[in-house]
This record gives sequence, C-alpha cells and structure tokens, in this order.
Amino acid sequence: MPYIPNTDDDRRAMLEAIGAESIDELFEMVPREFRLDRLLDLPAALGELELQDHIRQLADRNTAASAATCFLGGGSYDHFIPSIVDFVAARSEFYTSYTPYQAEASQGTLTALFEYQTMITRLTGMDVSNASLYDGAGAAAEAVLMAIGATGRSKRVVTAASVHPEYRQVLATYLANLDTQMHIVGTPGGALAPEELDAAVDEQTACVLVQHPNFFGCLEEVEALAAAAHAKGALLIVAFDPLSLGVLKRPGDYGADIAVAEGQALGCPLSYGGPYLGILACREKFVRRMPGRLAGQTVDRRGRRCWVLTLQTREQHIRREKATSNICTNQGLMALRATVYLAAMGPHGLRSAAELCLKKARYAADRWTAGGLLEAAFPAPTFKEFVLRAPRGSVDELLDAAAGERIMAGSPLECWYPELADCVLVAVTEKRTKAEIDRMAELIRSVLG
Amino acid sequence: MRNEQAADLLFAQSRPGCRAVRMPECDVPAEAVESLLPRSALADRPPDLPELTEPDVVRHFVNLSTQNMSVDGNFYPLGSCTMKYNPKRNEALASLEGLAGLHPYQRSETIQGMLALLHSLQEMLGEIAGLDAVSLQPAAGAHGEMTALFVAAAFLRDTGQNRDVVLIPDGAHGTNPASAAMAGFRTLEVKSTAAGLVDLGDLAAKLDERTAVFMITNPNTLGLFDRQIGEIAEMVHASGGLVYLDGANMNAILGIARPGDFGADMMHFNPHKTFSGPHGGGGPGAGPIAVAGKLAPYLPAPLVAKRGDHYTLDFDRPKSIGRVRSFFGNTGVLVRTYCYLRTHGPEGLRRVAENAVLNANYLLSRVKDCLPVPHGDRCMHEFVASAQKLKAERGVTAMDVAKRLLDYGFHAPTVYFPLIVREALMIEPTETEGKATLDSFAEALQRIVAEDAGLLHDAPHTTAVCRPDEVRAARQSILKWTAPSM
Amino acid sequence: MTPEELLYRKTHEWVAVETDATGAKIATVGISAFALEALTDLVYIDLPEAGRKVSAGEPFGEVESVKAVSDLYSPVAGEIIEVNSALTDQLEGLSEDPYGKGWLVKIRISDEAALSELLDYAAYQKQCQEEMADD
Repeated sequence: MPYIPNTDDDRRAMLEAIGAESIDELFEMVPREFRLDRLLDLPAALGELELQDHIRQLADRNTAASAATCFLGGGSYDHFIPSIVDFVAARSEFYTSYTPYQAEASQGTLTALFEYQTMITRLTGMDVSNASLYDGAGAAAEAVLMAIGATGRSKRVVTAASVHPEYRQVLATYLANLDTQMHIVGTPGGALAPEELDAAVDEQTACVLVQHPNFFGCLEEVEALAAAAHAKGALLIVAFDPLSLGVLKRPGDYGADIAVAEGQALGCPLSYGGPYLGILACREKFVRRMPGRLAGQTVDRRGRRCWVLTLQTREQHIRREKATSNICTNQGLMALRATVYLAAMGPHGLRSAAELCLKKARYAADRWTAGGLLEAAFPAPTFKEFVLRAPRGSVDELLDAAAGERIMAGSPLECWYPELADCVLVAVTEKRTKAEIDRMAELIRSVLG
Repeated sequence: MRNEQAADLLFAQSRPGCRAVRMPECDVPAEAVESLLPRSALADRPPDLPELTEPDVVRHFVNLSTQNMSVDGNFYPLGSCTMKYNPKRNEALASLEGLAGLHPYQRSETIQGMLALLHSLQEMLGEIAGLDAVSLQPAAGAHGEMTALFVAAAFLRDTGQNRDVVLIPDGAHGTNPASAAMAGFRTLEVKSTAAGLVDLGDLAAKLDERTAVFMITNPNTLGLFDRQIGEIAEMVHASGGLVYLDGANMNAILGIARPGDFGADMMHFNPHKTFSGPHGGGGPGAGPIAVAGKLAPYLPAPLVAKRGDHYTLDFDRPKSIGRVRSFFGNTGVLVRTYCYLRTHGPEGLRRVAENAVLNANYLLSRVKDCLPVPHGDRCMHEFVASAQKLKAERGVTAMDVAKRLLDYGFHAPTVYFPLIVREALMIEPTETEGKATLDSFAEALQRIVAEDAGLLHDAPHTTAVCRPDEVRAARQSILKWTAPSM
Repeated sequence: MTPEELLYRKTHEWVAVETDATGAKIATVGISAFALEALTDLVYIDLPEAGRKVSAGEPFGEVESVKAVSDLYSPVAGEIIEVNSALTDQLEGLSEDPYGKGWLVKIRISDEAALSELLDYAAYQKQCQEEMADD
C-alpha cells in the first residue's frame, strides 16, 4: 500500500515487542461473530496511473462551467479567483494541520482566523464574526437558533419567499423538532413589502430572516424591514452576498443584528456545491450566543502578542447538550481562502468586481429584454442576478438551445416557485464579457423570435 | 527564520495605493453605479480592507504557515482525530476543472461523470457500513450526527412512537449530546465500567419506552472495542430504540467489522479522518451517513439515483427530513474520499485498519512504562495514557508533557479527553507512520518524563510563543484587530 | 457575616437570611471560597434580572472559567429582588471578597422549606474535605 511505511520485517518486530502472535490477535476485542469473513465488496485497488486515467475519464464526462459560458447563480457563482488563493491554500502547513487547539503549534492558522474575523467585521460593519460555519444556509439556520436564544421567544420566526429556497428548507429541517413555527411572507413583487412584514411579525416573533440582495437578485428595503422587526422586539437577520458589499451599504449600517452569508464568492471554486463557508457576524451583545469557533488575541508568558481559540465554553466539547450549537469544525481552509482573497482584492479590487457585476448584469438584462421576447419578472432594482420571464412554455426550449451552444443560461425557478414556471434566474459576474452577453441575446432572438 | 515584519497583521501592513489585483475595464456601456441603484442602498466608500501588493500577501501567509505544525511536516498523534497522511494524488485529481469547476445547478447531462462518482461512493460507503442507504449531504461529522438524529426523529414521528430520550455513554464526544439537543431530544448519560466499556446495568436501568436512540462510539474514545456490542444492540432494540454508531473511529475496523452487522441502525463517517481528507486547519470535512432500510425514506434529499445508464438527483422523497445543507454537500471532500477508496480496494482498506491497530498497540507497548495506560495493554487504533502519577509525584501535568513534545518536533496528543481519564493523553499514531517514527516518539516521551519539572512547566521552549494566557483572552475578548489609537 | 455564620447548599452556594423592615425574609446568596478556588480563574458570570421568580434548586445563573461552566443553583424559593450586577465587570471582587462584595443575588423568600436542607458551616467543611480527598 502506498501510504503504509512499515515493512513485513517491521511488523514482525512490532508484534514481538507487543507480545502478540499475529495482527489478527490484536483484533481479539472484536467478537468473532461480528468479524467480516470475506473481503468488502468494493472495486479493486488502482495504482496512481490507473486512478488518474479513471478520474480524468469521469471528469471528461462533465462540462465545467469554464468550458461553457456560465450565467448560473443562486448562491454559487463563477467569480474571479486570484492565483495566490490556490497558492496559499495549497501550503502543507495550512491544509494538513488540524484545529488549533495547541496554540503554540498553530499560530499560523490562528492568526489567519483572527484576520478573517477582522475582515468580515469590517466588510459587514458588524461587531464580531466567528471563524466560519459550513455554508450560507447553515449559517442562516444557526442565526435563527441564536435569535431564539437571545430573545427567549421560541414560538415563531418569520422569513420571506424571496430568501433562497434551500436556506428556507434547511431552516425548516432544523426547526422541525423544536417548538418553533416558521412563517413565510410571500413576495409576489420580487421583494418583501415592509407593511406585509410588519403585519407578520408579532410580539412572540424571535427574528426576521431576509436576504439582500435576495434570491431573485432584487434589493430589499432593508432599513424599513429592520424597523418593522425591531418595532416588535424581533431581531433582523440578513443573508448578504459578500461581493455585493463592494457597492452596497453594510448590514451593520442598516440595522442587522446578525449577518450571514454564503462565502463561496470569496475565492472558493464552484466545486459542485462545496466545500464553501458560512459567514456569521453579529452585534457584540450576542457574542456568547454565537455558534462555532472564535480566535481571540492574548499574550504569552513572555508578553508576546498571540492568538488562541477563545470563549470555548459556548461550544459542544465543554457545554455538551447545552452548547450554542453542535458544530465542531469550522471551514478553516475555506476561511483562509476568503482571507487571502480579500487581502488580494483589497478595497478597490472588491469595489471594481462589484461594479462590474452590477453593470454587466444591467447590460445583460437590458439587452435580453430589449426585443420584448423576454421580460424582467420584477420591477425592483437588482445587483448581479435577475429573473426573466419567458413566453409560456418556452423556458425549456430556450435553455436547451443555449445548452447546445455551451451556454449555461440560468436556473428555471419552477421547482421552487410553481407560480414562476416561466421564469429563469440569471447571474452575471465580472467574468462575463460583452461578447458572451451579446451571443446570448442573439440566441434569444433566434429561439424565441 | 521568522520574518517578524511579514508576519505582522495584514491591517498593520496596509499602505494606501497598493494593489494586488487589477480588474479589467468595463466592456459594456453602463451608467454610473449611483444611477443604477438607489442611493440609500449604496455604501459611501469602498470596503474597509487593507491595501497590499501581491508579494506582501504571499510573504505574509508563507510566514504564517511556518508557525503551524502539520501532518506533512510532523508526526501528529492527535487522538480521536486520525491525522493520517493526505495523498497528493487526491488533491491533484479533486482539482481537475471537470470536477472542481462544476456549478451546483448545472443540468444533469453535463455532470454525468460527477454523479457516477457520487453514486458509486454512496454504494461503497453502504458496503463498508453494512447498511442499506447513504446520504452524502452532511458537511461534517457533527452535522452527520445531527442529520441522522433528525432522520430518527422523523421515523419515530411517522411510526407514531413518542420517544424523546437519547442515551449517551459518559466517554462520548461532546458533539453527541449537542447534536441530540439540536434534534429536540433530551439526553441521559450512561456510565462506563472501570474497564472502560458501557455499564450494561446502568444502560438497562435507563432504557425504557422513552428511549429513542442509544449513541455509541465503537471503538470507543479509550481506543477499546466494546465487545458487548451484540448484547447492547439487542437491549436497545428490545426496548424499541435505535442504535447510532458514531463512526469517528472507523479507521480501526475498516473491512474487519461492519456497524450494520453488529447492530447499528445508522452511523456517520468522517472522511477527513478515516479516508484521509486533509483537515485544513479545522475543516472542511464531510459527514456522510448510512442507515438501515427502514430509515432510508427519511434521508435528506437529494440522493444520487441511477436510471438505466443515466444518473440523476432524486428529489422525489416524500418522507425525507428535507435539506440540512444547500447544494449537494462538501463535494470536493467526497471526491477525495472516492479517490482514497479506489486506491485501496478491499484488501487495502483492511490493511489500513490492521496497520493502524498494529501501530497503536506497538506504541502503547513502548509508552506504558513511562506513562501508565489505565485501560489495559491492548487497544484498537488509539489509546489513552495518564499523567496522573506524574502529577502526583512531580507536579508535571498532561499539558506539560504535551507542550514539551512540541520541542521535540512532535505534535501533542489530545489532552484532557476523554473526561473519564484523569490527566489524559490520547494517542493515535495512524497507519501512515512507520516504526522508526513511533520509536523516536516513545523515546522522546521517556526523556520528557525524566526531565526537570521546571523545564516542563515552561515548555515549549522552541516555538514562537509559549503558553498563551487563555484567561486573559476570554476576559478581554479581543476578537478583531483595531487600529492603534494615535 | 463570617463564613461560620452562613448556611450552604451542597452545590457550594452560601446563604445569609435576614428579616427586612416589612418582616419579609431576604436571602443573600453567593459562592463559597472553596468553590471559587476549585473553579480557578473565572472569566465570566451570567446573572439573572431582578424580578425573576426561582424555585429551590433551580439554576439562576452561570459562572465560567476558561474550560468549564458551572450552574448557580438557588438555595431557596422566592423572587430575586436585587442583583450584584457590578460583578459582571469586576469579577475579581468575587474571589477577593466572596462573602462580602462578592454576593450574587438577594431573594425574597416565598417558601422556607428548602432552608432546612442547607448545611451549616461544619457540615459544609466536612463535605469540602471529602471532595478534596476524591480528587
């Protein structure tokens, strides 16, 4: 076996030192009746050359987004990734280490996590960030559980149809065994009407979870939504797009109590859905309700500044069934990627990327709806995504034709919103070019015209 | 040598005007941002991030990296974490554009290779578990535990059983009770015997018509396989409960014994441990779960299904608990798992377990004379030594020993866990270390226990920092950098 | 009051009972010096708000060290009428003067039954010695 250094001679010497006749004897604790008397029924071992061939053949049966023109979004985006992100994340010292429990042997990881937390607080305008969670949906669900604990209101949480359907599904699963009702406010206009939110929130509501820009790409009237939530003593949880903060106001500036996000846009490859990272940041007063790890600054015995995992009494390994969450790992390597990404992009790079997304998305929306063959489904202003409505029954035809031209034109919304059966969600990132957008416009004309 | 300047925080290194990235000019006709979006929604300045050049960023992180110990650089016998070698071929193959470059909402005909891989992985994990159905969706081991408990709760509800208690042995990982609480269960602790196994009398006393699930880690956190497992499973099943197997320690029994065969109804895998996925400084991992047939309808959606020659995502699962994660899951980790399993095959996996157990027993035989191992001379993949005697006689604690090991170039074992052993040092060598490494580790321990107590209290001596003040960290709660005031 | 004059719960809370001007019995509650030493360096204390009603044996707060959390249990039933919120920022006060400045809450007792289950100083000392021997 390629990764087992001991030779037969080593094994003999080791058995002798142990005082055992055979390796089989070492498994004496496992009752005979439960020992497998056959080999596992698995495919035979492959050498590296064969494995490379096999995996390449599998990979060749897929079409990478980069081998096509990708207008897919919905929480995972084809954004630019600077080369140094891969370079740093491929350092053995980072990717083959573990949780920094021994602070002296992990100052590299701890410093990077502290920098990550700082960058996220600055990006969001929130007071505190944890060291990351699994993904955006999980971060949203954890934020809701935090809000229930912080407000002591366990009966009701309110969210909106304009929040990512998969986030709502995850939240529903997390709440299914608790005594909490999830109320969803409809968003037929593409964004949440503050007066409808106001009507849905009562004095028993722990929190309101909204997304901004929302799943349809539309901006929400976040300041009014914050006011509606706060008027009843409910917390406002905002799921944001980190890249949008290159141009948009920060969650901390418009009244969010907890801000969560899917962090994939910050330097993580598409990777068929993961691994990504969940961002969670909050106001100072909720820090002891936070799930997940936190790196904190301190000094060592000689007064040198350094970092440790801190406020661990919140966590499962100490508080067990009373912990703020069962989460044990964070997404350390993905948080490192996000940190390197933000360091490389800097204030101006992030702003440029956000502006390019906004401008190209607006150009695409204008261009594709210009001939009247498609129309924008919602009137609200959008950032990098938008929803297009096609003539009845023509969505599949359009997407099929685009696929034939190696264009991943968008996600049909029918599986989540039956009333939007003729609609497609489209994302335009800074990587898309005018030529690609124009080519799609041509295709629309030729298919629907 | 450490470069203090480059290792300083990025924010302190920021200089106005520095750039690492230049984005292209906008190639579409567009109005200014202020006329595209309402002013009230816009930030009034660029994000508050440091301004740096590419060499600044690279030098900073390379310097930080040198302050980490890692599996590639050091023996890392961190008990319970299975810090085995991370194969480089898996990294290279998982990064292929045809795998890492797939968007989660691509149409199924453009991802047939990926779905074939994931479908095969579902089947392989089911075979290793000896269970009927597998979900790859959970993002980590603890997430898998919680998902399986959601599945159990849905099954109990659907079959009209009002059971709300989860029983957990006192040696269990903290994730077990925390996951049970998140799934809405109450928890009760089951005692261990002096020999470190489940106390059957205590278990019998606590099993009743309220029992939903008994969660057991087997091999357990002392590195012992609980040979009573057949009887335990019978007792739990007779009372109408389900048996959950925490798969944290599957490395010891790959191809030797299958949880489904010894009575488990459900389990999770830790691919980042058992199947060599890199730990990444604390994630990403993954937490696939395997369950018995009667629980399969409740697994999260989607699963990968094969229809003729075509692979699809099966969302049509009316009894499913729903989703626990967006998109498919931590696919990149799962691809590495697949590569690992295909590299080993059935014989290779069995040899992994055999060598992990051999290494642990050999190291135990070399360590026990200087640090007693309270639970016997034989173990599975890991063992727990105790520094209690050392503490009583010389005032040297498990933490002192752990810190001093860093000076010898070894990562420390897990200390103070499990809670049922005083001054615990939990040591797991894994199969990817050779006899020579184990010998030098044992020799280092022998030297350390004889060293001057003062020297040990002040260890480590060779690292950039020594014994950070955790009390101060917790009291001050400095969780982000702030600019020094002028 | 001196430690010798106080009553103790097995979970290491001390109690001093006084009668106020209206004749109501008021229990002042704190943590014993023995427990504070065992908890080592405290980093956080979570205290309830005044007005909360508690039953005897019910947790009313928590103290945390770096690696441990301990519940604080109410030795009596009643209403919490005063909280020593200065402690939150001045944790040192707790270990410096556990029986004076380190008091936690005052409870207006509604049911005196639980008082009879509390230990006197001698019995509490004996319990502490047994715990030390176990360790």
